[in-house]
Amino acid sequence: MRRPPITVVFLAVLMLALGETAGAVMSQLRPAIERYARARILANAPAHGLSGSAEYDDEVISRAVFTAEAGLSFLHTHAQALPVVTLLASTLVATVVPWRRTRGALHLLLGAGTLFPLGYLVYGLAVLEAGRDAGVALAEGLVLTPLGSAMILGLLGLAAVLLRRRTPAA
Amino acid sequence: MMSPAPDTWRVPPPWVLLVAVVLIAVAEVSGASMVKFKLELTRWARGVMLARPAVHGLVGVRDVDEQIIDEALVKLDGGLRLFHLHAEGMGTVIVVATMVATTLVRSTGLQRTVVLLLTVGGGAYPVGYLVWSAAIPYVGIERGKSIAEWLVWIPFGSAAIVAMWLLTGALALKLVQRQ
Repeated sequence: MRRPPITVVFLAVLMLALGETAGAVMSQLRPAIERYARARILANAPAHGLSGSAEYDDEVISRAVFTAEAGLSFLHTHAQALPVVTLLASTLVATVVPWRRTRGALHLLLGAGTLFPLGYLVYGLAVLEAGRDAGVALAEGLVLTPLGSAMILGLLGLAAVLLRRRTPAA
Repeated sequence: MMSPAPDTWRVPPPWVLLVAVVLIAVAEVSGASMVKFKLELTRWARGVMLARPAVHGLVGVRDVDEQIIDEALVKLDGGLRLFHLHAEGMGTVIVVATMVATTLVRSTGLQRTVVLLLTVGGGAYPVGYLVWSAAIPYVGIERGKSIAEWLVWIPFGSAAIVAMWLLTGALALKLVQRQ
């Protein structure tokens, strides 16, 4: 099997390293993360719609902290799995796609798609800075949707090439 | 012996692949066992906990004790699930990352270090979840977690993380040199 370009391999390994580190950070620094999250929410009180009523605010803060922590958790799980898919798919691209430009385009899409888990880091941070719903929408619109689409297009492109290679010429 | 073409993958050492495949196989078996022996596991854990009331803070009042035991059983089950997930994931990561190191890290010393740290660290790390689950009935949730952390998660997890960043650094250097 041929190996994909080093840039694609580098991005995949970088994401694996980030994913492992995020897991360790989540488990060892949980209290510090929660403190930081609460502080950022209080600093951005209008974005979170805090009212000054302790009972209501506690609920809003807890939901936002939970969402931010979920972002870190999604970063861990996605960054441990997606790069493996990237390496497998880009190896197939390097091995079975005979056309240089198509190969380059598919590697570009898969390489960009590998960065998809970073969207969850943006998701966690944006929730704290812009409020829960606005933060989620921001991360989805700016990072998760474009990078996720790149990965999907890359995989569909590879599938199309494999299908074309299977189909005998008329 | 013919050396492989420069742009093809090199296969990691056989012992590395063996560790990864055994880890994945054990993960599969643990997933199946969790379902198959759920009742037996629960009975065993409950028996061990009831034999150690002081460890779990059991007071002899059924309503209170059942809640404590239930929480411990949920954590025990969670530990087994996390072992299943992490063993499957790390087995795959070991294969992929050691293949990258074997193919693209030119320095023999660095390549061996990365492969060794990744295989030993990544292979042993998921076992921490088994240690935690097994320890819960004997020493409680928090003490069990602390034992798993210091015996397994911190040393072996750190080894895997260090290996992955070494590999990332080596690839970054290679990219810069190509520029």
